[in-house]
Amino acid sequence: MVSSSAWPYPDETREMEQIQADVIVLGGGIAGCMAAIAAAKQGCRVAVVEKAGAVRSGAGGSGCDHWEQCASNPCSSVSPEEMLQAMMDDNDGYNNPISHYIEAREGWDRLLDIEKMGGKIRDTEGEFQGAVFRDEKTGLLFAYDYKNRTTLRIWGTTFKPAMVAEMRRLGVRLIEHVTATALLTEGGRPGGRCIGAAGISGRSGKFYVFSGRSVILATSRPARIWLFSAAYPGLAEFRPLSCIGSGHAMGWRAGAEFTLMEKSVRGEFSAAGRSFPPYAAGNNHNTWYPASLVDNRGVEIPYADRDGNLLPDVMHRFQPAAGQKFFMKGGNIEQAKYAYDGPETLPYQKLQEQGYQLPFYADLSNLPPQERKVIWGMMIGQEGKTRIPVLKDLTDRGFDPEKHVLQCYGVGWKSGDFLPQERQLFGLVGGFMNDWHLMSNIPGLFVAGDALFSSNCYGHAATTGSYAGRHAAAYARSVPEILPERSQVEKERLRVLAPLARDLENGYTWKELNHAVSKAMQNFCGEVKEDGLLLAGLEVLQGYENEIVPRTAAANPHELVRLLEVYDILTVSQIILHSCLARRNDCPKLEFYRSDSLGEAPEPLIAIRQEEGQIHTRQIPLDFAGDVKENYEKYNTDYRQEVSP
Amino acid sequence: MNESRFLVRQVEPAQPLRFDPGKCIGCNRCVNACPIDLLLPAQGKNQPPVPAYPDECWYCGCCVMECPADAIQLRHPLMNQARWVEKNKLKEGHKWNCSNG
Repeated sequence: MVSSSAWPYPDETREMEQIQADVIVLGGGIAGCMAAIAAAKQGCRVAVVEKAGAVRSGAGGSGCDHWEQCASNPCSSVSPEEMLQAMMDDNDGYNNPISHYIEAREGWDRLLDIEKMGGKIRDTEGEFQGAVFRDEKTGLLFAYDYKNRTTLRIWGTTFKPAMVAEMRRLGVRLIEHVTATALLTEGGRPGGRCIGAAGISGRSGKFYVFSGRSVILATSRPARIWLFSAAYPGLAEFRPLSCIGSGHAMGWRAGAEFTLMEKSVRGEFSAAGRSFPPYAAGNNHNTWYPASLVDNRGVEIPYADRDGNLLPDVMHRFQPAAGQKFFMKGGNIEQAKYAYDGPETLPYQKLQEQGYQLPFYADLSNLPPQERKVIWGMMIGQEGKTRIPVLKDLTDRGFDPEKHVLQCYGVGWKSGDFLPQERQLFGLVGGFMNDWHLMSNIPGLFVAGDALFSSNCYGHAATTGSYAGRHAAAYARSVPEILPERSQVEKERLRVLAPLARDLENGYTWKELNHAVSKAMQNFCGEVKEDGLLLAGLEVLQGYENEIVPRTAAANPHELVRLLEVYDILTVSQIILHSCLARRNDCPKLEFYRSDSLGEAPEPLIAIRQEEGQIHTRQIPLDFAGDVKENYEKYNTDYRQEVSP
Repeated sequence: MNESRFLVRQVEPAQPLRFDPGKCIGCNRCVNACPIDLLLPAQGKNQPPVPAYPDECWYCGCCVMECPADAIQLRHPLMNQARWVEKNKLKEGHKWNCSNG
């Protein structure tokens, strides 16, 4: 243990540094880096505020093995419009048509950008020459649906360092180990034009003021709302501990509008409790698709198509079913609708009836050698959190994919079953409402990646980041520079530094507060909602806000950052409760249920914001984006598609 | 009072990172690359960094990836170490169960 006297950084809590740029990017993950690069290429002075060191930070810093929904790649037989239509239809319209159209339309352009930066997107060495999933002309590797080729296999461990090098090359100013804490608005007014942000160093406690003509929020999605572990807080959620949706809390305080924040799902993933580390236990999903599964007798478990027809061999696991144009993903994590459903092993109940015995194991030994090698060694090795924690760890401990089979815990990829109240913002969940510029309702505040509503993966982060960067740059050129209001800055400085001066002996720690919030959310906002419970939950959380927050304390700037994150978790939890109160009817697609529901009459998107503590909601039709192709072209007249080599 | 051989210490639920002091060159690249900022730089020259907040570890292995000296080992909490078996042994599983039962 480190004693408090051993803090190795200087105390700069009395200092304030002011940084000016045209575009300020908050968060240096995949979306933030791509936003900064795009804005810098438009000739803007750009500053990126990153909580950790940028080289590997964010949810995608350690790698990525799939680039999904890449309908614009030269081998795809699915158009961006068809892809978007499938994504909307698969979610009954509760999805982000603008951000996902950008993902489908610009994915290939971003991959080419990343390749130019030094990232590896194709099999340049011919390691997989002759494989069915390799396009011999381009060297691109595909996953899942080998016929339609919309998902690429990529060497994502090379991407983040390449993006950081590109930012440095373009002269982007990187402010690392600094956490953004608040948005600054014109005149200090909530809802006013966004003209900057405040931040604090997690090392020295130095306070920062960033001012710019536009601001891009790329601060991931909320987490640790329901799931918390004081023993393993770093493993409580799927994304890194540092990704907790601070941007949502900052946005809410500044008057930003959100939608779908009422959607949560029963826990899918928490290696602090029920799950194993991702891809480190047997399964046949995502990175592991389409591993064979065997039962306790070593008998192989059959795969079937969407109609239940058993597939005769491994190669059929990569083909659409008879009469199906394309499928979205094999071995579904979230079950797709019939139209887009891919091959999957038979459901567990059927297997039990037929005498298959637990435990099951993932078996790579009987796959064709190139299929085995692309899963074990490429995908497991390039996917985030796999090179060291899975590939190296298991190899060092003696695992041999040609000889051993890896146990599955539970059925499916989750490797554990959660209680109904153990909830999570997983999959397509709520976030900032956006327009065709990826701007929020606050002028000058742009949003990218996971902070957007219904965000999903790496490709979505990279494409929306770049798009937001272009549009924020154009906006920055059209508006005058306004400096932040001194009173707003001073108020924020006092707020963020206060816990360092409080009584540590009697104060509450970030862990104690986080655990209390998570328990309250399990109690008051579980699987089935009810008005009285939600209101009681708000009362409890507001009590924490008024009475406990002023008694929380931090021993050093690192602890302070963790504590400020929990303040934001407390704010986001209240956004969720207000959003649940605003949706009146059950909505199975959103996994939203009420004991006092008026039925299942469909309600559209409900957008929510606060102004001086008052909650304002409005309904937005699911098709608010209009004709996506037409509108995309209208709002992006200057955009030039990359030429595909 | 007799001097005791016992000591009081904080009991950790896991030890995610081990540094090999013989290999570590004290470059602090891991300190700057950790996405959680849980490492603190060493006080002395050529000393390994200190995992000050091991409970916050996300087990991503980025510190290991960035280490130029192969000086860091990542170890999952025991509960997260999945089990595997030799495929050939699966068919024999029943025999073992019967003879043991």
